[in-house]
Amino acid sequence: MSAATAAAEPTADTGTRASAPVALRRAAARVATGIGVMWAAATVAYVVLHAMPGKIEDILVGDQTYPGAQEAVAAEWGLDRPPLVQYLDYLWRLAHGDLGTSYAMRQQVASVVGDQLWPTVQLTLAAAAVAVGLALAVAVGTAGRARPLRALASVAELVATSMPVYWLGILLLMVFSFGLGWFPLTADSGVASLVLPAVTLGLPMAGLLSQVLRESLEATLEQPFITTVRARGVGETLVRLRHALRHALAPVINLGGWMIGNLLGGAVITETVFGRPGLGAVTLTAVTNKDVPVVLAVVLLAAFAYVVISTLVDIVNLLIDPRLRTR
Amino acid sequence: MRDLRPLAAVLIATLLLAGCAPSGAGSPTSASGTSLTWGVTTEPQCFDPHRSTQQNAFIIIRNYVDSLIAKKPDGTFAPWLATRWKISKGGTAYTFRLRDDVTFSDGTRFDAKAAKVNFDYVADPANATDAASLLVNYRRSTAPDPHTLRIELKKPDSSLLESLSSVKLGFLSPASLKKGDTLCDASRSLVGTGPFTVDGYTRGQSVRFAKNPRYDWPPGHSEHRGPARLNTVTYRFLPEYSTRAGALSSGQVDVIEGVQPLDVPLFKDVKGFQYLTGPSRQTSFTLNINYTRGPGADIRVRRALRDGADLDAVVRAVYRGTVPRAWSNIGPDNSDYDASLKGSWGNDPKGANRLLDEAGWTGRDGDGYRTKHGKRLTIEVGYPQPYVRDNRDVLIEALQAELRQNIGLDLDLKINTAGEFTDQKAHGDWTIYPNTLNPLDAGMELRQVLGSTEFLYGNVRGYDRKLDAMINRALATTDLDERRPLLARIQRRAVDRAYIVPLFAPHYQIAATDEVHGLGFETQLDSPANNYAVRVGR
Repeated sequence: MSAATAAAEPTADTGTRASAPVALRRAAARVATGIGVMWAAATVAYVVLHAMPGKIEDILVGDQTYPGAQEAVAAEWGLDRPPLVQYLDYLWRLAHGDLGTSYAMRQQVASVVGDQLWPTVQLTLAAAAVAVGLALAVAVGTAGRARPLRALASVAELVATSMPVYWLGILLLMVFSFGLGWFPLTADSGVASLVLPAVTLGLPMAGLLSQVLRESLEATLEQPFITTVRARGVGETLVRLRHALRHALAPVINLGGWMIGNLLGGAVITETVFGRPGLGAVTLTAVTNKDVPVVLAVVLLAAFAYVVISTLVDIVNLLIDPRLRTR
Repeated sequence: MRDLRPLAAVLIATLLLAGCAPSGAGSPTSASGTSLTWGVTTEPQCFDPHRSTQQNAFIIIRNYVDSLIAKKPDGTFAPWLATRWKISKGGTAYTFRLRDDVTFSDGTRFDAKAAKVNFDYVADPANATDAASLLVNYRRSTAPDPHTLRIELKKPDSSLLESLSSVKLGFLSPASLKKGDTLCDASRSLVGTGPFTVDGYTRGQSVRFAKNPRYDWPPGHSEHRGPARLNTVTYRFLPEYSTRAGALSSGQVDVIEGVQPLDVPLFKDVKGFQYLTGPSRQTSFTLNINYTRGPGADIRVRRALRDGADLDAVVRAVYRGTVPRAWSNIGPDNSDYDASLKGSWGNDPKGANRLLDEAGWTGRDGDGYRTKHGKRLTIEVGYPQPYVRDNRDVLIEALQAELRQNIGLDLDLKINTAGEFTDQKAHGDWTIYPNTLNPLDAGMELRQVLGSTEFLYGNVRGYDRKLDAMINRALATTDLDERRPLLARIQRRAVDRAYIVPLFAPHYQIAATDEVHGLGFETQLDSPANNYAVRVGR
């Protein structure tokens, strides 16, 4: 499990006081909690899906009924067994790495979700990069500067955060794809097809991060230690980048970690507007069709992503804030 | 989110009309003249003709799947993989003479045995195919010689020819059928006899087809023979209306399917573009009223609901004159549509109010709705979210506003889930269900929405036995002279007793650059035809 090793390394590297067994114990606890979270998420999703109205076999059969259709479908997918048996069977297969077969798409869930995973991860990472890059540039550039500049940045941030992703996507498409022809929709892959979706998804996040970061930066710049640094004759840029930024990052990283998890929701809309492959559309159809195996796989994946992200956030916090390492 | 779409469309339309975007002329994709790119609304969940349930999937599937016979616009059938056929006197045995030069794209021969394997596969309950609903009366088929196929039925079924012309009963090679479930994936194992073969698929993005160079067996009424004219066809999945329109305007795709009313002026009668609309033979978008439940059990209430609004105006306002309002639930271009219904009902608020007074709904509550014994006159329209599309919810909302104002009836639109609706079906307690059906034989369509054994009324007690008997009689006869008047009477009875309130007749829209030729629609499906006849060039 990559999260486990990743979690263990920095503690061992940086914490001179933490002996290896302690680090191992911490890592093991992380892994155990992670698995617990994923199991709980899958179980809750399973219960909720089965509590939703409508029998799965009836939904699968749809309007085109014929005598015996429901029974045939139920038998085909093993839906005629008691829910508890189905649940245990699901866990058993899951433990063996089998995510099952999609009811609606009739394909291996592992391959469906696997195919769609990378485009979504790609989009999410690119959007996060856009958000972090923009937020850093804007916040560092404008914190504590002249009033008009800050006001301009504030307005831009407000617009970016409050603009619906759908609108933003259409607007960007209109100007840069349909109008200027820089980023054709038909581009099969590569960076060109990623730029507009990433900006669409990343911009609202950039607005929020930048707001938080600037406020945090401004508070930091007021601190006595900054005055000390300045007194040593350090230039303004270096003061901001080297001393203030590191101090101001902590709240932003916690917020950012949480927001990356939320990007999956925004990805549904972005993927639809740009006709991009990804988990968003697959998840949406799966939920409305009660395609249990697909929904569960996505839930597991999301839970896994949260575990990994929260671990990463903790590690990054350890790296930028030495005070945490001694605890 | 939904409410923003028209705004976005207006914005795009304005900018494009103002000349902000380059025109489609000399578009890069059509430069070679042998490849074509579509922008389509829907990515099929399943590419297997026998298992797919989405109407929009068949547009794509038709590129690699042929049928025994083809339906012509006049309602009769043309030869396709079968050159001629004979129906036995009792209507229970159909004998087809098959072409002897047809091969699947994997090189194996299409013969009577291959056809039999396909039908047996579909009809076998163990395979749980969706197309099995077309073969409920199928007993078996036999292949007395390689080019003769005999289909035997359990009882006469006048819808069989229509069903056989459907892509759902098209043919896959017996070898690929053995792969069963996995055929839902658009892989090269999907082997049919059609003019194209699957060449590549990126889920969530596009599917690509290559010409089948050996193809020489188009439907009898085709204009050319031999292989298709295009070398490759790509379907790009662009679910967003505005994105598709923009992609076509800027020459990034050659053809789009699904044009929203606001975008029509971008392409219709515009130099460099063409705009086509398909036929409407499928069922119209219709409110099916459960005539055994609540206020809807009273014929006076149902008739008031039917006539209480100016449907012409409502449909025109929502769709800007791009679609006709409906008179029957059978589409106006269907040869079994009862044209006498036109002008026979609707837009009579005065009469509707009188009916409601008679029915005892004479009180009024604070919101202006009619009441009886203190209870508001409310009927719920349960509309499953997955089926909500092309502003149909907006249409119902517009109707809701009219009915409230005109006659004080509360048409309560509730967007629910497929699961909730399934539950209502199982208990027979749905109240109004709005829907259209995939194109089927008209008799089958009427049975689906009004018959006592089907999805709507299967669990409803107290259905109209007389209507049910008429439907069954229509389906049992193969005599067109008896059948057509019977189907017309069924439509009249359903409208007269307001079991159904037909709203509008939907059709497919295609917009394309003017360099694309040979675009058209498939009669049996109402939807864009495959790319066999299409070519690109000046």
